Amino acid sequence: MVSKVDGTDSREVQALQAYLNEYGQQAEVLSRQLDFMERQRMESMAAIDALKALATEKQSVILVPIGGGTTIRAQIIDPDNVLVNIGADVVIKRKNTEAIGFLEDRIKELEALEKKVADSLDQVRGQINEIAKRIDQEYRKAQAG
Amino acid sequence: MFDSLKNRIKTVQEKLSINIQAAALTSPPSLDEGKGKQGKIRLTEKVRTLVRDRELILSEKDIAEPLAELELVLLENDVAFPTTEAIISTLRGELTGKRRRIGSSIDTLVVESLRSALRGVLGSGFDITTYLRTHEKPVKILFTGVNGTGKTTSIAKIAYFLRNKGFSVVIASGDTYRAGAQEQLSTLAQRVETKVIQHQPGADPTAVIFDAVQYANAHHTDVVLADTAGRFHNRANLMNQLEKIKRVIKPDLIIYVDEAVAGNDAVIRAEEFNRLVGTDAIMLTKADMDMKGGAAISIAHTIGKPIAFLGTGQAYEDLKPFSPDVLVGEILGEA
Repeated sequence: MVSKVDGTDSREVQALQAYLNEYGQQAEVLSRQLDFMERQRMESMAAIDALKALATEKQSVILVPIGGGTTIRAQIIDPDNVLVNIGADVVIKRKNTEAIGFLEDRIKELEALEKKVADSLDQVRGQINEIAKRIDQEYRKAQAG
Repeated sequence: MFDSLKNRIKTVQEKLSINIQAAALTSPPSLDEGKGKQGKIRLTEKVRTLVRDRELILSEKDIAEPLAELELVLLENDVAFPTTEAIISTLRGELTGKRRRIGSSIDTLVVESLRSALRGVLGSGFDITTYLRTHEKPVKILFTGVNGTGKTTSIAKIAYFLRNKGFSVVIASGDTYRAGAQEQLSTLAQRVETKVIQHQPGADPTAVIFDAVQYANAHHTDVVLADTAGRFHNRANLMNQLEKIKRVIKPDLIIYVDEAVAGNDAVIRAEEFNRLVGTDAIMLTKADMDMKGGAAISIAHTIGKPIAFLGTGQAYEDLKPFSPDVLVGEILGEA
């Protein structure tokens, strides 16, 4: 796709604009993916903090949101055993420390994936800048002429 | 592609090899080995030989630990539970209970058993070019799927792929619902030099696709690629619209498109679409971004339909016709 941009006739501002829209859509999709992964990573980090805190505090009382902006006080009866959704909608029981290890691994994987997506996003943004510059040049040329 | 799965399968592979080696070293000699006039001498000689020259029968206990680990690895990488069970069961069957000569390499035994187990759940794939060559033209292909998975871009990629294979293509812009969908498709179609049939936004998608089929008949076009608006399977009215398209157009193929990164969600959605409107083949997009490979491994096994294509990047040529052997090679780190 990139090479086709380079080969475009300079008069075809409309075509450049279409490329710009196309890359804009791609950038939007990648940004959404990145946001989603970032949220997952933050959630995992928050879960690790919670698990660590619960492990040191026996018989903790927490507030559990039950929807509609309401919460209920609940007592943690077994902070040493955690139910973890390991993937494929399969939930297994893990020790608190094992669950933390699992979440840490998940964070590492997400970081690697985020890097990959961010690299792709950078590439697409680079293309967007390049096309925008070309459009700008064409307008300037048209104005000068 | 599938980096997380690949790395972890490699670890399990090594553990399986170690366990089999340990079992070979500790297992009693087979009955044949003690026979002969100089039984004792032969036995001693045999014990001295390398593990690779031995025959042994592996028990389930010998490989229980790495298999349990493999089960977790597969589940953690979003491989659906029934598919995971099928892989483990095949692997267990391949490795245990049979008298086998380890041969020159335990690693080869493990790799080949893993290959056979993975290959068993991937199905045979779907060769679209053979299908097109052997069916009456125009072949009408309907694309279905949820919103935002890359259906429209995938159609442009498939058009590009098919044109390069010598087929003439027309695209029906059946997504008359999403704002900008028609502009997007006409831009993409222009890039891949393919005719696109469009109506006004909000028009009946069945009419658009019908016109595209008429165009294909009149121009002796080989393939009609029909785009549709993305929809979730729980939206009854939108699913009814698909049903109407299917009834009127009678597509030769229905290709369900979803993103590989959606993992188990993609499998569940594919199952629902198959149940409601039928599916003949699957395309998974964004496979290059997928660290886990769960959807790619599970989807064919779960819904019993083959994968036709994998989308592997942003450019039009980033489309791989799905080959189960290539995918297994990729997962086993051979690609």
